[in-house]
Amino acid sequence: MSYCRPNSEKGGLKPKAKQESTPEAAAEKPWPEGGTWVHLSPQDLTRLGKMEAIDSSEHYEKTKEESPASLLVIILDTNPHAWFALDDQLPLTSAIAHICVFINAHLAFNDANKVAVIASHNQRAVFLYPTPPTAATQHDASTAQNDSSADVEMVDASNGTSANPSSADANKYRPFHQVQQAMTSAIQKLMDETKPESLASTTAIAGALTLALTYINKQTILANSVLPSSDTNATGAHDENAPVLLTSRILILSVSGDLANQYIPIMNTIFACQRKSIPIDIAKIAGDSVFLQQASDATKGIFIQVEHPQGLLQYLMMGFLSDPTSRQHLISATQAGVDFRAACFCHRKVIDMGYVCSICLSIFCSPPEGSVCLTCGTHLSLGDYGKVPAVIPKKKKDKKGKAKEKVADTEN
Amino acid sequence: MADSDSDYVQDGSEEEVSRHQITRGVKAVRAGPDQSKKWEVARPWDDVREDATGAIAVDDMLEAGKRKRKLKDTTPLQRGIIRHLILVIDCSTAMLETDMRPTRYLLTLRYAQAFVLEFFEQNPISQLGIIGMRDGLAQRISDTSGNPSDHIARLQTIREQEPKGQASLQNALDMSRAALFHAPTHTTREVLLLYGSLLSSDPGDIHQTITALANDHITCVVIGLAAQIAICRTLVSRTNPSMPVSESYTVALDDIHYRELLMRATTPPPTASSTTNTNGAQKQSGIIGGSTLLSMGFPSRITDRLPSLCACHSRPTSGGYLCSRCSAKVCALPSKCPCCGLTLILSTHLARSYHHLFPLRNWKEVSWQRAALCPDTVACFSCLAAFPPAQLRRADSGAGAKEAGEGTRTKVGKREKRKEIGISESGRYECETCHTFFCIDCDVFCHDVVHNCPGCQSREGDLLDRGLDGDGDGRDGAG
Repeated sequence: MSYCRPNSEKGGLKPKAKQESTPEAAAEKPWPEGGTWVHLSPQDLTRLGKMEAIDSSEHYEKTKEESPASLLVIILDTNPHAWFALDDQLPLTSAIAHICVFINAHLAFNDANKVAVIASHNQRAVFLYPTPPTAATQHDASTAQNDSSADVEMVDASNGTSANPSSADANKYRPFHQVQQAMTSAIQKLMDETKPESLASTTAIAGALTLALTYINKQTILANSVLPSSDTNATGAHDENAPVLLTSRILILSVSGDLANQYIPIMNTIFACQRKSIPIDIAKIAGDSVFLQQASDATKGIFIQVEHPQGLLQYLMMGFLSDPTSRQHLISATQAGVDFRAACFCHRKVIDMGYVCSICLSIFCSPPEGSVCLTCGTHLSLGDYGKVPAVIPKKKKDKKGKAKEKVADTEN
Repeated sequence: MADSDSDYVQDGSEEEVSRHQITRGVKAVRAGPDQSKKWEVARPWDDVREDATGAIAVDDMLEAGKRKRKLKDTTPLQRGIIRHLILVIDCSTAMLETDMRPTRYLLTLRYAQAFVLEFFEQNPISQLGIIGMRDGLAQRISDTSGNPSDHIARLQTIREQEPKGQASLQNALDMSRAALFHAPTHTTREVLLLYGSLLSSDPGDIHQTITALANDHITCVVIGLAAQIAICRTLVSRTNPSMPVSESYTVALDDIHYRELLMRATTPPPTASSTTNTNGAQKQSGIIGGSTLLSMGFPSRITDRLPSLCACHSRPTSGGYLCSRCSAKVCALPSKCPCCGLTLILSTHLARSYHHLFPLRNWKEVSWQRAALCPDTVACFSCLAAFPPAQLRRADSGAGAKEAGEGTRTKVGKREKRKEIGISESGRYECETCHTFFCIDCDVFCHDVVHNCPGCQSREGDLLDRGLDGDGDGRDGAG
């Protein structure tokens, strides 16, 4: 490659003519010294170009430098109670519009970026995007595969929900459009299915987190399986040094408060996130929850209390858009004081000192009645807790003995 | 040997594994340590398997993970959550062997560091101490404490010192006994030995030491690196009579197996039934006193603008936790308040141990027959990956699909037999409580990492609507 020089300077004609005049010399000296010119045919040039493309290592280095693709899983708390209370400040529809803009920004960052949206409804959690495949859609796909010769109706990726795309959508970037369509139709469906009698003030945040984790796990496995050498086991014990191809994070938009009934499942998901180093970001729009604070603290995520819900989009864009790779270079907003106090299992009182059953690790604010653990029913030996320190009574006998000794001493 | 190897790969039962170890032990003793590895070259080609069409079967890797899950016992057991464990590391010349790369010694130290981290991950309110056996003496590597970074720092310092002399089991056990003697009655007292030597050079009668250990309710677990040794066998059988010897005394076949065995010890041991003590007859387990109510403090974190000295190390720190009883500042949790002795922990530390107590139940394999009953579920509930469609399968096996059990088994013989171990023929796994189907990746992930069932957690409302209920004793999602 070094002998192929662009003949821009010195005028290419003269050396070219020289080479043509002495073809034997060129054959003898295929590697001319000191910048003499070699004539290359167009075929040679294309060949060299191909070689360069094949063996240059630039290509591989570039992929290493590139930041890995990022998977964002948004958990949207769709608890109708809480959204109704918020209605004058931020109706759910405009919140969804904000989220769509945020998702578009995320997708625009990197071509390979992915997104998933999960609704944490009251009492259940469902995927909003990607749309869960149903029997009907899969049947379509399988028939399309089986008789490929037949003329198959083109099915949109959003499962035919966008039957009549308005003219305003015509110029929209297609991935944006798909996500938006799928999400809005799924939310619509979810709200239609919600019956008044099934309304409760809780939200299935633990289920949504579990779904998010399993989805992230699957996507990570799929991303890693592209590399043949990488180990795709679920525990991830052996592939510590494998290159990261997909970084994931979870963003929870929370509007509900009390989550105490899901304490253990939420904690389990938090520890799983910790092990997999998946940050959990929290945008707390309304309500108050200690667990979510602890979740973002334990997983090194971002916790932002959204004080002005009207400006949700700005909070999202400024606070949560950076992916885990770029967060290494940024100072992210988070809060300093985290409430770590525990709630006792007997009265749900928040305590800073309590009693713990050694068998089941239940926390009590005072020794339980009859010293029987309320959770596991074990009889607990109480120890000496809560008693007034005893003062050892003076032993008269000893004194007498000592006195006697003294007397004896003096007598001696 | 090739035969026994492939047997092992094929059905991999516990029985087979233990038989394997015994043969290895006998051989190693006879051949001497330097020749013991010649017949044991790595044979990765044995692990590759071809399916009926001659293609390399990929699902074997999945199967391996699956089998690991299957071995897990999911009965909720009372476990010794608060543990006192002494890790005894062999530092004798036998550890210079290079059958495990780079040497047994360096590999053991590397795994020991991983073990320390995982141990405190799984047992955040437990205590650990490390002892080395070197040159006929027991050497204290790190004191019993609950801080993983101390142990790891100490383990890194002994990397430089070469293994030397013989190992003395008796000295190490005596020192462990002294370290565990003061442990409170509601905790376990455990000794984990990583033993590479084939002998023990002791100053006195080791059987007396073993008797003393048994009297003090200290349980010993041994992981051998070379071969089974009679004295270790005696030791484990005398000190934990409630556990089969095949569990408490294992020999590592290779480095991966070694790591597996070591990591298995991070799970808290089940409490033996006789623990709930009937005056004096409490010889069965590490826990002697049974259950106790412990007083603990849940401090909140503070951040000062100016650094102040911490009570535990007397180092200036700006952040820390204030003891809820005496307001002394400690830098890290969990720990014991250096002033008033109150145990200080975070509630998250307690929550970390809950999955040992409430394990996620194993999911059932779904037969084609069952899958055909639910044609609506075409994809894994939790990751949306499509299942192999039921129609295709029926087309394959024709009318035989009806009695998928016997019919296909006789047809495809070995392959089907392997599938019985725990691989679902339809690629679906069903949670028996919420009747949701999952794929194998989600199954392994949920049981190994999350310990939650995505279906039970996110379908409670649905379940109520449909009037379905679990199989009676299903784990309550709310715990």
